Amino acid sequence: MIREPFKYRWLVLGALFILLATLPVWGSDYMLLLGLLFCLYAALSQMWNLLTGYSGLLSLGQQAFIGFGGYTMAVTTSYYNINIWLSILAGGVTSVLLALFMSLFIFRMSGIFFAIGTWIFAEILMLWFSNWEYVKYGTGLFVKPPNPPSMTMIYYAALTMGVAALATVYLILRSKIGLGLMAMRDNEAVSSSMGVEIFRSKLFCFLVAAFITGTTAGVLYVFQIFIQPYKAFAIDWTVSLVFIVIIGGIGTIEGPIVGSLIFVLLSQYLSEYGHISLLLLGIIAIIIILVAPKGIMGTLQEKTGFELLSPRRLFSEEPG
Amino acid sequence: MEALMQPVINGILLGGLYAVIALGLTTMFGIVKLVNLAHGDLMILSSYLSLALVTYLGINPFVSLIFVVPIMFVVGFALQKYLLNRVLGKEMEPPLLVAFGVSIILQNLLLLVFTPDAKGIMTVISVKTIQLGNIHLPVLYLADFVIGCLVIFFLRLFYNKSFLGRAIRAASDDVGAARLMGIDTSNIFAIAMGIAMITAAIAGVLVGMTFTFYPHTGPQYLIISFGVIIIGGLGSMRGAFVGGIILAEAQLLGAHFTGPGYQLLIGYAVLLIILAIRPQGLFGQAH
Amino acid sequence: MSSAPILKIDQIDVFYGDFHALWDVSLTISKGDIVSIIGANGAGKSTLMYTIAGQHVPANGTIEFMGDRIDGMGPHLSVGKGIALVPEGRRVFPRLTVYDNLIIGAYTPRARANIDENIKKIHDLFPILAERGNQRSITLSGGEQQMLAIGRALMSEPELLLCDEISLGLAPVVIKSIYKQLEVISQEGLTIVLVEQDVKRSLRFADYAYVMLEGKIALQGKAVELGEDQVKKAYFGM
Repeated sequence: MIREPFKYRWLVLGALFILLATLPVWGSDYMLLLGLLFCLYAALSQMWNLLTGYSGLLSLGQQAFIGFGGYTMAVTTSYYNINIWLSILAGGVTSVLLALFMSLFIFRMSGIFFAIGTWIFAEILMLWFSNWEYVKYGTGLFVKPPNPPSMTMIYYAALTMGVAALATVYLILRSKIGLGLMAMRDNEAVSSSMGVEIFRSKLFCFLVAAFITGTTAGVLYVFQIFIQPYKAFAIDWTVSLVFIVIIGGIGTIEGPIVGSLIFVLLSQYLSEYGHISLLLLGIIAIIIILVAPKGIMGTLQEKTGFELLSPRRLFSEEPG
Repeated sequence: MEALMQPVINGILLGGLYAVIALGLTTMFGIVKLVNLAHGDLMILSSYLSLALVTYLGINPFVSLIFVVPIMFVVGFALQKYLLNRVLGKEMEPPLLVAFGVSIILQNLLLLVFTPDAKGIMTVISVKTIQLGNIHLPVLYLADFVIGCLVIFFLRLFYNKSFLGRAIRAASDDVGAARLMGIDTSNIFAIAMGIAMITAAIAGVLVGMTFTFYPHTGPQYLIISFGVIIIGGLGSMRGAFVGGIILAEAQLLGAHFTGPGYQLLIGYAVLLIILAIRPQGLFGQAH
Repeated sequence: MSSAPILKIDQIDVFYGDFHALWDVSLTISKGDIVSIIGANGAGKSTLMYTIAGQHVPANGTIEFMGDRIDGMGPHLSVGKGIALVPEGRRVFPRLTVYDNLIIGAYTPRARANIDENIKKIHDLFPILAERGNQRSITLSGGEQQMLAIGRALMSEPELLLCDEISLGLAPVVIKSIYKQLEVISQEGLTIVLVEQDVKRSLRFADYAYVMLEGKIALQGKAVELGEDQVKKAYFGM
């Protein structure tokens, strides 16, 4: 089937970007906070989607990179007075190194074992950090940068991460790597005939996801000012990402964006009810898996062909 | 050498408990290829149910099993029949994510009802020990081990010798052929989950008596279950027993040499190394 | 027709989604007969067997078994009524022992009463199954698995035995011995429906035969009266 790409897609995307970019000018402090959270969750969930939705790597251990990236930023900037933006980048770099080390173990596993392997790694890091004097055990660290950035600055950093994550996923999926991954997703037989290449592509995506997740975590903890192992390495992070992507639409580029928006608004709206917020999100996610397993965007695409950003190149054929 | 005897023996006893904790997870994986990420939370739900019964009815925790076991059977049956059966299919993710959702719902439900405070089920045997030379055998650990062995024994008996057990295994081998034999497979899987939850109920009551627990403890026991399964091989009950003991030994001996803060850490590290060397588990068969 | 009909199918249509698999099929099977269903791949033979066994629900028409309507009864109930299907590809439970496979064959309440007796009968019929009782069935040879699949079906004490392609991929000697035992069971009064690729063997063995083409019954008659040429023509739709 030849499908017209959505005509006004660049218009819609451009409008969305301008809206977000000018938010500090016209929005209230509260809106800025929402915008910040939206951008950060969009970046993080985009990465989980890249792994699980496109690369067949079900990760339950994204919190490993969130904690590692966050702690790297906190330590470098608070202990060594390194520029805050450099510290954030350092968090991305150390996350990639961590991912490389992890891959020695977990890339030998597949399916559910991979998922559990990533989770166990995160748990190990949590235990390690909470027993490590250098990072003040479980009590946590305050982020004290030599020149603390303003809220607007942090917001723009978050926006940068959101846009960078989106662009990265888009570019990866439209590259040769993405074609290979999607061929694998659509047809099992293809994957076995391209074993080594697929392995490299998956590893590449895993490292990219680690970098962006680690960097985004840096921005997140600059905003939060305080980092603690039991929060930073908690499975709750991945829980949120899973819900975002399931609700928005797994294996779609727009899914994480839509899901993040719903997640941030819903959890803000429900925050006064405390734990009911997560409870409701759990129920919503289950209902969505049962009635619309492809999520909001996936279902929309199937029913109407609406797609803002197609991972497939123009006028390419739909599989099957 | 003698100083080592205590952690070694405690490890064996604790291993029996770990095996029961993992039993429901490993059988369900063997039967429907379902990885029930809510397993730990369902087990902790049993701990809370028992706690509530012990507190309000003033009964012995072991007696509370009379109520907790059937309740958990029904919970498991309903969960499988009305939720998980609907998403079982070729793809691995949907059932996994549904179970994940159930896990989150349970944790937050427990938090609402029972507050985040740590709880424990107290019994008369909580602090009793038996002296054997220089070794102290905690009576509770001994009870954990004995009950654990009994559960495994009867579960094996059920799966190998009963009609229902054979039917569950048959449905697990070939759903279509099982239907031809007159087996209602959707009910059969629900019953299998109900039985898995019976083992989780027993594990939950034992864990509740042995350790403190709070609403978020579930995932910790899920990981322990995975540890047991990874070491023992998926779907194997005998493997679960050996896996439980090895994992508990790794933890307790690790704690013995490096301090209690590292007990869990060393357990996990052993797991990862085993996973990396033998992804199908020490006793698992390669697929 | 030797005696009263055990199975009566009246004008059924069966669909797989949009695909119309059986068109207006009617047939009657008499008690104690061996009936052969012949046809090319995709002619609808297996669909017919699975429909009789309750695995497919006809869109219209009726199926009567021993006087009762059985269409739409649900996939796991017809075996309790006395219909057993030996599926194509044998489909024994690979990780269960030979003995456990037989036990599972007697899953329905009506069959459970006489398990020991029936196992003994099946062991007499296929002695190799007694010998290999404690082996996992995946370790059996193809012929042994086929015997197990038939034995497992017989454990449900059927009145009607449906055999789908039971000689597929087996050596001629093995096929011969399996058919010999089927004859033995048939003489005890069991009604048997056979789906076979091999036209000659089917006609030699059966009392009555149906030839299917593109989901319809193209030809039927007593096996001795049907000429091989006539059957072949119907088979290929000439």
